Amino acid sequence: MKPFAALLRKDNQPVRYLVVDDSVFARKNLIKMIEQFGGEVAGEAGDGLTAIAEFNRVKPDIVLMDITMPQMEGIEAVERIVRQHADARIVMVSSVGYQENILAALQKGAKHFVQKPVKPEVLYEILRYVLSDDPNATGAPVALAGEHRS
Amino acid sequence: MKRPPEDRGGELRALFFESANELLQSLNEAGLELESRPSDEQVIRRVRRAVHTLKGDSAACGFHKLSELAHELEDVLTPQVAEACGGELAELVLAAADSFGAMLAAYQRNVDPPAVEALHALIKRLLEVPASPENSPVVVVQLPAQFAWTEYEQLMISEAVHRGEAVYNIALRIDPDSLMRAAAFQLIRNVLHGSGTVIALRPEDNLAAASVEIVEAALASSQSVERLKQRCRIPSIVSDVRIEFAATAETSEHELLGDVLEAQAANFVAGAAENGLATKASTPGSAAAAVSEATLRVEATRIDAVMNLVGELIIGKSMLNRTLSEFDQKHARDPLRAKLADAMAFQARILDELHKCVLKIRMVPVEQLFRRFPRVVRDVAKQCGKDVALEVSGQNTDLDKSILDALAEPLMHIVRNSVDHGIEPADERLTAGKPARGTIYLNAYHQGTQVVIEVRDDGRGIDLARLRARAVETKLLKPEEAQRLSEQDALNLIFESGLSTASEVTEVSGRGIGMDVVRTVLDRLKGTVQVSSKKGQGSTFQLRAPLTLASIQTLLFRVGGRLFAVPLSSVVEISRIADHEIHRVDQREVLRLRDQILTLVRLDELSRLRSIDTQPVKKKHFVVVIGAAEKRFGLLVDSLVGEEELVIKALPAEIISSDLVSGASILGDGTVVLILNVPAVLSRLSRANPLGAIA
Repeated sequence: MKPFAALLRKDNQPVRYLVVDDSVFARKNLIKMIEQFGGEVAGEAGDGLTAIAEFNRVKPDIVLMDITMPQMEGIEAVERIVRQHADARIVMVSSVGYQENILAALQKGAKHFVQKPVKPEVLYEILRYVLSDDPNATGAPVALAGEHRS
Repeated sequence: MKRPPEDRGGELRALFFESANELLQSLNEAGLELESRPSDEQVIRRVRRAVHTLKGDSAACGFHKLSELAHELEDVLTPQVAEACGGELAELVLAAADSFGAMLAAYQRNVDPPAVEALHALIKRLLEVPASPENSPVVVVQLPAQFAWTEYEQLMISEAVHRGEAVYNIALRIDPDSLMRAAAFQLIRNVLHGSGTVIALRPEDNLAAASVEIVEAALASSQSVERLKQRCRIPSIVSDVRIEFAATAETSEHELLGDVLEAQAANFVAGAAENGLATKASTPGSAAAAVSEATLRVEATRIDAVMNLVGELIIGKSMLNRTLSEFDQKHARDPLRAKLADAMAFQARILDELHKCVLKIRMVPVEQLFRRFPRVVRDVAKQCGKDVALEVSGQNTDLDKSILDALAEPLMHIVRNSVDHGIEPADERLTAGKPARGTIYLNAYHQGTQVVIEVRDDGRGIDLARLRARAVETKLLKPEEAQRLSEQDALNLIFESGLSTASEVTEVSGRGIGMDVVRTVLDRLKGTVQVSSKKGQGSTFQLRAPLTLASIQTLLFRVGGRLFAVPLSSVVEISRIADHEIHRVDQREVLRLRDQILTLVRLDELSRLRSIDTQPVKKKHFVVVIGAAEKRFGLLVDSLVGEEELVIKALPAEIISSDLVSGASILGDGTVVLILNVPAVLSRLSRANPLGAIA
């Protein structure tokens, strides 16, 4: 049973996610939620460098990015991705203690942030919001499942 | 300085009336604009804002009928209704301005406001025009916010508005559950920057954000309010959003006033006002401070009090000067002399500066007066079925507020007259080879220590023959006298009471007051009014008034042992003549000065002054040539004393029975000086009977 109406792209296709976290458990947790929201996991990464490569390969609609990772920190990954793809939608995932890092990531172009432990209803609203960034869109941010294509 | 609350309430009321009048003025202006561009959204928005402010302010002051009317009006003021009803909206706005004006006047006199059924009916009719159900563009959510932008930011806002951009005041409450406020604030910033141009932001940086709950911003954006609202409602970051159109610099004060008034009302009245801008009682201090940042509204009487004190100081200065020169004479070798003189000079300079500053406080641009005229011209032109344009220049000319106020009535009269009598009907103009549309020019400029206000029209000019005939008809002049008058004198007949050349009394000009009132007012102001006219080409009225009434630069002289002063601005020249140069013509003493005949006046004869010292008859005399409005006369004086800046003291009528003296002043040594009323002397001279009959 899904408590959430599916978040869909404008073309009524499932939203495609790239999930970046060095903890497999954390990734699984996020992926479970994404599936609850009717989304599709297009790729996973355990560090910043892989994240950049995966982003270029799968061109996701949304990136969920952990702040602290080996090899390359989330902030740098954000900076590199946004430099190439200005319209990338990156949502930082982090514990409360990393406010400085989140601030930096936001300054580099991240769209939003969510605190760990991630609550599904909070993430859902944030994703809904981030997906509605198309300036031409009006009212409801994205088409919801069961609605007519507009 | 602590005041009892009632006093504070009274002050706020006064503030309300003042700002309400400004709002009425802006309604009038907007109404005129709507007349030419019926569905200009910008203008409608401006009207709406003015009405909205009026609604809030009047509710806070307890003027509920006014507030209700404003509320009704607000409902009609949408672009949809404007589109549906066309030009009628302009009529509505102008009618509303009139109704509000009548109500305000009633409130000010503490009587019940008049019923304004006509306006109610008009509103009702307009509302019945089907309007589309779209929401009003202004979204007001209860969220305390100051939007107290700095002067610079306000300037940026009004510039953006003038460029045609929509500028919004946005207030966001950071979700109280949010633990990372700095990050939250950064995200808000990102969103705002992504939605338009951020003109102002509070708090200004992330550091301050840690302790702040509400973020305020002024944002220029092309996005719709709905869209902005949706963007600003950032999940898990923002819990409350308020968006409204930003007031431009001209109106921001009113918005703030609304806040202050309402905070005040919340203190006084149980239950807050219904207005959406309500600020809770905890904030009036900061809002009031924001008002005082830009402008300060002060009662005129307080400035007058300062002015009077400065006047006393000036008298004190000349007392000191006098004492110092006595000291000089007695102790010519005392080294203290130089020190005293230095200190005196320093003090004099500061005092001079202070005097100028205080005078400047009283100065207001003549625009405050001129801005009423577009509406006046439009209304009068409409009544007489004429097409008249108004051109205004020199609006930035400054003059004393009390003079400005005194000039309002005469100027109004002249302008009405010009439209009504000066400008010809369109067909007559076309026959005369002029454009069908007549033009009235209003101009103001400084000349020396005077301000000149000109009203010019390109109408038919003043009919001299008719003026002469009227003067004879009304038994003002005998026929032969009327014919003998020079052209200028004949023109000046229009300032005599009971003379109107209009063949029929119209609603516009036939209201009992005439040009004689204009002259009376200007005499009182120690000013002049001049008229010139060319048949078929139009007339020009020139009002001259001193820049300030508080003090004047004068020439002091003695006649019959008494000290007199005459405004320096009316002194044309000073000459020294011998007894044999004075001739007698027609019972008057005259003097030939460089081929001009000058009537001579002996003040002691004119005012029946008894000489208090008996000087031997002198062979040589000083003649002060005095001119006002084209007329000249020579004043025979015993001796000249010098120039002096005099602070005028008003004289009660029972002390001075002669109109020849317009005021008095006190010199440093306590001597009383009488200030000569030049226009009064002139008018005695120009009377038909010779001077001997008076003296």
